[in-house]
Amino acid sequence: MDCYTANWNPLGDSAFYRKYELYSMDWDLKEELRDCLVAAAPYGGPIALLRNPWRKEKVASIRPVLEIYSASGLPLASLLWKSGPVVSLGWSAEEELLCVQEDGVVLVYGLHGDFRRHFSMGNEVLQNRVLDARIFHTEFGSGVAILTGAHRFTLSANVGDLKLRRMPEVPGLQSAPSCWTTLCQDRVAHILLAVGPDLYLLDHAACSAVTPPGLAPGVSSFLQMAVSFTYRHLALFTDTGYIWMGTASLKEKLCEFNCNIRAPPKQMVWCSRPRSKERAVVVAWERRLMVVGDAPESIQFVLDEDSYLVPELDGVRIFSCSTHEFLHEVPVASEEIFKIASMAPGALLLEAQKEYEKESQKADEYLREIQELGQLTQAVQQCIEAAGHEHRPDMQKSLLRAASFGKCFLDRFPPDSFVRMCQDLRVLNAIRDYHIGIPLTYSQYKQLTIQVLLDRLVLRRLYPLAIQICEYLRLPEVQGVSRILAHWACYKVQQKDVSDEDVARAINQKLGDTPGVSYSDIAARAYGCGRTELAIKLLEYEPRSGEQVPLLLKMKRSKLALSKAIESGDTDLVFTVLLHLKNELNRGDFFMTLRNQPMALSLYRQFCKHQELETLKDLYNQDDNHQELGSFHIRASYAAEERIEGRVAALQMAADAFYKAKNEFAAKATEDQMRLLRLQRRLEDELGGHFVDLSLHDTVTTLVLGGHSKRAEQLARDFRIPDKRLWWLKLTALADLEDWEELEKFSKSKKSPIGYLVVPALRLRRSQLLYPFVEICMKQHNKYEAKKYASRVGPEQKVKALLLVGDVAQAADVAIEHRNEAELTLVLSHCTGTADAATADKIQRARAQAQKK
Amino acid sequence: MAAHLSYGRVNLNVLREAVRRELREFLDKCAGSKAIVWDEYLTGPFGLIAQYSLLKEHEVEKMFTLKGSRLPTADVKNIIFFVRPRLELMDIIAENVLSEDRRGPARDFHILFVPRRSLLCEQRLKDLGVLGSFIHREEYSLDLIPFDGDLLSMESEGAFKECYLESDQTSLYHAAKGLMTLQALYGTIPQIFGKGECARQVANMMIRMKREFTGSQNSIFPVFDNLLLLDRNVDLLTPLATQLTYEGLIDEIYGIQNTSEDFFDKLTVEQEFMSGIDTDKVNSYIEDCIAQKHPLIKVLRLVCLQSVCNSGLKQKVLDYYKREILQTYGYEHILTLYNLEKAGLLKPQMGGRNNYPTIRKTLRLWMDDVNEQNPTDISYVYSGYAPLSVRLAQLLSRPGWRSIEEVLRILPGPHFEERQPLPTGLQKKRQPGENRVTLIFFLGGVTFAEIAALRFLSQLEDGGTEYVIATTKLMNGASWIESLMEKPF
Repeated sequence: MDCYTANWNPLGDSAFYRKYELYSMDWDLKEELRDCLVAAAPYGGPIALLRNPWRKEKVASIRPVLEIYSASGLPLASLLWKSGPVVSLGWSAEEELLCVQEDGVVLVYGLHGDFRRHFSMGNEVLQNRVLDARIFHTEFGSGVAILTGAHRFTLSANVGDLKLRRMPEVPGLQSAPSCWTTLCQDRVAHILLAVGPDLYLLDHAACSAVTPPGLAPGVSSFLQMAVSFTYRHLALFTDTGYIWMGTASLKEKLCEFNCNIRAPPKQMVWCSRPRSKERAVVVAWERRLMVVGDAPESIQFVLDEDSYLVPELDGVRIFSCSTHEFLHEVPVASEEIFKIASMAPGALLLEAQKEYEKESQKADEYLREIQELGQLTQAVQQCIEAAGHEHRPDMQKSLLRAASFGKCFLDRFPPDSFVRMCQDLRVLNAIRDYHIGIPLTYSQYKQLTIQVLLDRLVLRRLYPLAIQICEYLRLPEVQGVSRILAHWACYKVQQKDVSDEDVARAINQKLGDTPGVSYSDIAARAYGCGRTELAIKLLEYEPRSGEQVPLLLKMKRSKLALSKAIESGDTDLVFTVLLHLKNELNRGDFFMTLRNQPMALSLYRQFCKHQELETLKDLYNQDDNHQELGSFHIRASYAAEERIEGRVAALQMAADAFYKAKNEFAAKATEDQMRLLRLQRRLEDELGGHFVDLSLHDTVTTLVLGGHSKRAEQLARDFRIPDKRLWWLKLTALADLEDWEELEKFSKSKKSPIGYLVVPALRLRRSQLLYPFVEICMKQHNKYEAKKYASRVGPEQKVKALLLVGDVAQAADVAIEHRNEAELTLVLSHCTGTADAATADKIQRARAQAQKK
Repeated sequence: MAAHLSYGRVNLNVLREAVRRELREFLDKCAGSKAIVWDEYLTGPFGLIAQYSLLKEHEVEKMFTLKGSRLPTADVKNIIFFVRPRLELMDIIAENVLSEDRRGPARDFHILFVPRRSLLCEQRLKDLGVLGSFIHREEYSLDLIPFDGDLLSMESEGAFKECYLESDQTSLYHAAKGLMTLQALYGTIPQIFGKGECARQVANMMIRMKREFTGSQNSIFPVFDNLLLLDRNVDLLTPLATQLTYEGLIDEIYGIQNTSEDFFDKLTVEQEFMSGIDTDKVNSYIEDCIAQKHPLIKVLRLVCLQSVCNSGLKQKVLDYYKREILQTYGYEHILTLYNLEKAGLLKPQMGGRNNYPTIRKTLRLWMDDVNEQNPTDISYVYSGYAPLSVRLAQLLSRPGWRSIEEVLRILPGPHFEERQPLPTGLQKKRQPGENRVTLIFFLGGVTFAEIAALRFLSQLEDGGTEYVIATTKLMNGASWIESLMEKPF
């Protein structure tokens, strides 16, 4: 293990830097990197190359080729560039390639070279051309900043939600700045530019000159500037070969370094990591790489080939024609364990485990040493953490083995950190494989999250691996496998050489009823690719009608949508389709469609009842639904129409409809109503007062009350009011009039309707008919009159009548006389308070006597 | 906590808490002070879920009733409309929003659809040009509202009319959704029984909805053993009769002036009808009631009762009643009478056959010896008449419906059984003597007397089944008939 730290280079007293190979690149580059526009996405992302013929001597006759490779150099796409000259390339956070053209148009391509969309950086650019452009990342997304030929900057902080911001002018700027960069402070993007010895900061409102604190004198120009991955730090390279390092706010200086090289560096990037001990900058020239920080000495590497630097969250990737390396500050846990002669607990544990494997007793000694210091837990943790930072699986394994060994001697060490690290490393090793080519470090992986990693695998169409990872990590299906499968299906529908049937079947076979898979999303994609029939087939598998129906409508399959909506029972959905259909079809077709769907028809009728009455009538007419048509006209006769003739006409239509419906009763009743209505109008004319819309019964009552008995009789005859009801009507009317004299006459009248009432069918005798008189008088609060009738009431109702007028004592007598138990109980229930105590007594005695017998 | 909801076999507080949580979450989405504009119809149901104090805790400072023109002034950040998804309400909301926009400082508008968001309504808002004014447009699935420890209601006034008169199954869809919510909280119900056309539809929708949720496997141990879905039109008789339990009587008499004597006369007639006496001819008590112009609802209720107890009236008798009613109460009631006919409450006898006696005898609907003090049978709730609906539930639990196939065929609509398979881990092993829990859902309404009868069955020591009751609406004969009446002016 002595050689393990051979590639560690100290910078100052505290930090080590190491550089190791990620991949040996066997990409078959036709061009030198230096002749290309290069863009490599962070987080181990893809590399795009576009040979740049526009900057060199005019050999533009050959069209350049845009090539996209994985980080391991596997070709992903290659396409002939047919658009205009490109100034700059860059990757968005979603791994879309943004190609900024000289004319300000930005073309957006997918990972596989598929054209996605384009947008423009503004009209102003058209005249002035774009001189330079940067693609940058903020928490809001990916942004583009351009420098125009007029030396003005325009930027958009988020290309997903394009809002162009033209930055203020730099006063007196005559030539292009020597270097510039985008900064991000307080969630706002700024531009820092260098012109001669001056630095300017542009925000959306103003341009201000800035001076880095502690900048060495004698600077006449800035050749390079670099902002760190998190926008926190800034480095400036001057024409004196001097490097200033400080905070991006330009408020604080961290350190400075004089490298004594005056040649402008090709690239300068920050190399630090979260919780770095040292902040360092990597500067690259043609054949030299230098790591400088707060130390008198720098670390120097020789570059054998043309190389390109890619800043990462926790280091720098360096790729060239033949290799791809990672340079970073050695993490604390690794340093503790592997530093020569380290006595850190992790280092001891690693040794102990090795001795243990050799079956040497030294294992025990080391272990004891850790335990005596009480540092075993810490040792295990160190080993686990260090394993995460190792690139080589054999090193990971040996560290994990050590951790596992140490765990055996601990009572309570929560297993999850160990288990999780094993899982994470397995995932990381899988994706680092050169076939996949995503060389994420552990810190990058944690920052990126598993969800985003899965999205990136999906973007690369690595569905099986993504699914394996989901299953291996036991992610909930909805976030994991289902999502991947859905993406796969969306890709599948784009395979135009496969028939609709086969695609639909293949998708269903693989997806089945997997939870969280939205067949409608897949169908929408199919429809987007112009495969409507496939979309319909896929929708058949969609169980959620709420999703199915809107898409069918969009695809203009309204009738299918209607039957799906009906199937669901969701009436709102049915309505939605109906209104759609109504606009889409002509009236006749629409009605025909309704006719075949009774459920939809009844819903539409309800809608019309409230919203479109006339249509309702047409619907009934179409269906020959005369009964409903009749009801419709009845309703119409009450609505709006004030004139009697209008109302009668509506009723006539109702009656006709009822006849057609073979509802004789309703037809006749409606004709009666018409007759009554006309009559009421006449009565109003002749007698004044209000008659229209009174019921027949109330009309007669009103006549009686108004003293028009003759007319009342006539009306009753005309409409064949049954005598019994007429009798009640008169009785009530006379009582209402408080015409007691007439009422008494009525009770005695021989030729009154009572005569008719005493028919066997009604089983009533005249004396029985007197009870209602008692009732009606009491209702009018006339006890005096009521008592008169009560005394005449026949024996069957006598007790009831006496009780009604409040004569409890007499009621008791009659009940006793009748020897009727029910009556006795009834009277007794009316005996309340002391006043009736004697009566109650009397009843009880009578009862007792009755029982004796 | 609402203590009265947690005493039963099934703790309905779980449901109440779930809907309260949903409400709080929505209110918190609209940060800042709020005014709620209420669809008046919703205030009752919401009162059972959330008191004003809850709303106040979530910064509800003002409450208004939804009405036309402009909103009353309120110095709040958010204005939230709580509405049923109805087009006419959308028109009012649009009017409110437009006049508010003209008024000055911008407010945040939100809309909460109860119980379901509606594309139709949103389209209307769009047509009226205000859809974009709403920041949050959400739905609040308040389908079943807990009323008591064993009682849930959707409080959907028009459900019966919509289902049976207008073939509008909106409320059935909501019922099915409500049942899905219940199952999400109380576990999948392994067995579904049903009788009637609407019951069949609700069961179908449930099965379909379950398919929509495939994957989110319900892992709650089932609380309900089975679900019985009953169409109200399977038993049109029960609600027509006067309820004679304490709660039922209060429900019946509340607000109605009745002389006690008349009340007894009416009861006598009802009981005669239900026990099958003189149901085929014009009844003189009904005649008198019409002649004295007693409340129309009372008359209709009696006539319908007679019709139902006779499997329809002879054409002559029916026409006589109808003519009397039209002449006395007005011809406009021809629409109401037609509605009652459509609902099957009032109809001519078909084929001259009266099935009621068969049903009465087979299901033992009429019991002559009722012990009202210490009841032994559910017939005590109507002093002799055992509610048909409850009898069906009772016979289902023991000995099973196979014993009454013949009667089931006479009653309208299909009867069916569906099973919802459970994963083995959730299958119940019943302890000896442990009662089953049946959720009985009355589609189209339930009366207090029926509830009392079911509670009576739940309490029987050897009953074997405890009931939780759900319905579209708590009702009585009067409110029921009234919901079917149509007044054109």
